[in-house]
Amino acid sequence: MNWDLIIFYYLAIVMIFSSVFAVFSRHPVYTVLLVLVMIIHQAFLLLTLGAEFLTVVQIIVYAGAILVLFLFVVYLINLRKETKRSVFIRTISLIGIVFLLLGGLLIKNLLILLSLKPSFKAYLPFTIEEKSNVWWIANYLFKNYLLQFEIIGVVLLVAILGAVFLIRKVKTVE
Amino acid sequence: MPTLEYYIILSIILFLIGLFGFLSRRNLIVILISIEIMLNGLIILFAAISYFTKDISGYIIVFFIIAMAAAEAAIGLSLVVLIYKRLRTVYSDEITNFKG
Repeated sequence: MNWDLIIFYYLAIVMIFSSVFAVFSRHPVYTVLLVLVMIIHQAFLLLTLGAEFLTVVQIIVYAGAILVLFLFVVYLINLRKETKRSVFIRTISLIGIVFLLLGGLLIKNLLILLSLKPSFKAYLPFTIEEKSNVWWIANYLFKNYLLQFEIIGVVLLVAILGAVFLIRKVKTVE
Repeated sequence: MPTLEYYIILSIILFLIGLFGFLSRRNLIVILISIEIMLNGLIILFAAISYFTKDISGYIIVFFIIAMAAAEAAIGLSLVVLIYKRLRTVYSDEITNFKG
């Protein structure tokens, strides 16, 4: 009985089912809450991959900021329940068949690609070595990826300014 | 111990679920959440490859993906609020202002 495999299967099954129900649920509040469940389980999946810094960032940024923003927008806009349309069902089944083919093709290609390189094996996580994971990420981020880090800062600034500009313009028009 | 194939298959399944929701739903908020599900599949893929090849670059790409997701959610939700204030709907098949 392998505990790593059991934990992985639990996290994977909960993530897949919660995202499927989130996509298919008729009410947006249920969608946001089910995606919250998926994101917390994904944070623990990142913990099994030896990335405890990314676990904390995932919980703070995704669950704490982005999904709360979605939830506030859902509360701000009074939505009625989405109605089913019979015209839509045909296209949905067509899209589903195409997607099954696409997913099978992707998985098959990636497994062929992996079988060409049999050197992928599980190594020790970074935390067991003498430096912690946070130390390695900070070292690489501020040495090798400094320009990209600055560009991400500019992108976030432009996003904030754009959001404020878009919302304010409507108020002055009305 | 789950190998790299398990994580890759999980990430592809999540990506396809998000893509299906992006194409098949009509509510604009659910479409944005489907984009988030697709980005979460990519996060699993990059973190797993970074763990199994013992290279730290994948974790930093995950960091950048999370920052881009925050920016994208802010812009997308402000556009949704703008569309709701102008047109009083968030369903993508009812936005027919540009029809001739």
